[in-house]
Amino acid sequence: MNAAVPPSVTELIEAFSQLPGIGPKTASRLAFHLLRGQSELALRLADALHGLVERTQFCSICYNVTENDPCPICADETRDHSLVCVVEEPLDVLAMERTERYRGVYHVLHGALSPLKGVFAENLRIAELEARVRSGEVREIILATNPTSEGDYTAAYILQRLKGREVRITRLGRGLPMGGDLEYADAVTLTRALEARQEL
Amino acid sequence: MYIQSLSLRQFRIFNRLELELAPTTVLLLGANAQGKTSLLEAIAYLAVGRSPLTHIEQHLIHWDAETQGLPFAHLEAEVVRHTHREQIALAVERKTLSNGQARLQKRITINRQKVKRSALAGHLNVVLFLPEDVGLIGGPPGLRRRHLDDLLAQVYPAYIEAANRYQTALSRRNALLRHLRERGGDRRQLEPLEMELAETGVTLSLYRQGVINALNLYADPLHRDLTGGQAWLKLHYLPSFNPRRPPEMAYQPALMPEDVPTTSAAATLRVAYRKALVQHRSQAIERGMTLLGPHRDELRFISQERDVGIFGSRGQQRTAVLALRLAELRWLEQVTGESPVLLLDEVLAELDRARRGYLLSLLGDVEQAILATTDAEMFPPEFRRRTHILEVNGGIILPST
Repeated sequence: MNAAVPPSVTELIEAFSQLPGIGPKTASRLAFHLLRGQSELALRLADALHGLVERTQFCSICYNVTENDPCPICADETRDHSLVCVVEEPLDVLAMERTERYRGVYHVLHGALSPLKGVFAENLRIAELEARVRSGEVREIILATNPTSEGDYTAAYILQRLKGREVRITRLGRGLPMGGDLEYADAVTLTRALEARQEL
Repeated sequence: MYIQSLSLRQFRIFNRLELELAPTTVLLLGANAQGKTSLLEAIAYLAVGRSPLTHIEQHLIHWDAETQGLPFAHLEAEVVRHTHREQIALAVERKTLSNGQARLQKRITINRQKVKRSALAGHLNVVLFLPEDVGLIGGPPGLRRRHLDDLLAQVYPAYIEAANRYQTALSRRNALLRHLRERGGDRRQLEPLEMELAETGVTLSLYRQGVINALNLYADPLHRDLTGGQAWLKLHYLPSFNPRRPPEMAYQPALMPEDVPTTSAAATLRVAYRKALVQHRSQAIERGMTLLGPHRDELRFISQERDVGIFGSRGQQRTAVLALRLAELRWLEQVTGESPVLLLDEVLAELDRARRGYLLSLLGDVEQAILATTDAEMFPPEFRRRTHILEVNGGIILPST
């Protein structure tokens, strides 16, 4: 940035460009958009960001992002607390909730095992999951990590770690997407779908 | 099979090349640094999806392309096979990301359908013979492994898939081993990775064992022919993990161990390999790397009870590698039912008259052979009359007048 741009703007541009998916160009555009007579939006954004930092925390049971501890899902007496769905990110909880079918609770790992990116078991909420299982309240664990090789690795590791405990462990089924086309499905997906076929 | 046409854009020295090729012996004639080797390289690149000459694919892009702001290379070939024809294309593009970093993007298509690299297997088969191949016999084992990989990759998509998965699990395990050494942590994290290594590693090992057994059938008689019936040749595969041989026992050239056929079922091997990985964990953590597996396999060439890589003269090594290349040709013919395209770069210059004659006599067996040379005089006149001669000059190729 050159001297023509005041430091307060430069600072904002730099902060924006730290965000995922935002490069220097988009960062400048966002900053100048807020500058151009949109002070109301800028202040709302500032408030929202402030609230994000001040009011949110991790739920002490499932480690989802929440304003109250425990989170509304963990506090909900009507849900099945013996059924735990293990996901990588808080957004995955949202996706599961959209089904409106799942009545169990969650456990958010905050990532997947990835030695090459420096993410190891101790960087994820795996010990906390083990503690939940050890408490004896959990009847079934649904491993709902992403169907990527990192997600599969994480699921396989959790399986290792919970081996021998009195808990049923299942993996989310995988196969063909709805509205998809069989002829465009890749071989790996088709193989998995074939393996997981069901009696009608 | 043969290549009917080849089109190159901004590949190495070629700015733009459109070439028609006949199903016969083609002689590329030109001085050094005019593009002969690059043309052979382009064909081999289309066959396996990686260059036989460099790991750094950016080097494949024409040096002017960068300054013109179009950093990409495009290669395309029409391949005519017994039953059908196919179009194979490969594009490499250097993309600059918004954060200023450069990324190389590779796009492979077969008949204009985008495919993964593993899908290239079985579409265009080549046997490439370069002058530096002499170093294959006595050079570092990594060269021989890469060579086996590229040969198997021409035929078996499953081999490429297994090799990719093996490589991912291996680099993950190595990163984890270093982390465990420096920071400690739960060793059970190794288990899923070891399962994956055992699963894919045994697949690699069995494919390698299979192709080496097959190559042995062809290489020995070819080597005897090349040496006037005097010397036998045997390819000796030494898998880094072998359930019947302790891994610490390095190969001893003086002593010829009996071949250990991997007759045990793959499942038994996988269990044994995984067990061995678990046993060697502490050692692996200490060293920060995986000490056992196909990434450390060795292949030796034995002739007359001696290891050619260690005791062979340069001439003997050249004969052994020639026998190997011709054995590959025979093997590809046998498994694919078609003769591969033979690519020879300046190889004749290093051979004596008898071997040169032997090699030239074999050229009639394949549908298409492409030979690069600086000196047409090396070939007998009656041979030259039967070939198509193309002159290569500064990235431009024209029929000889």
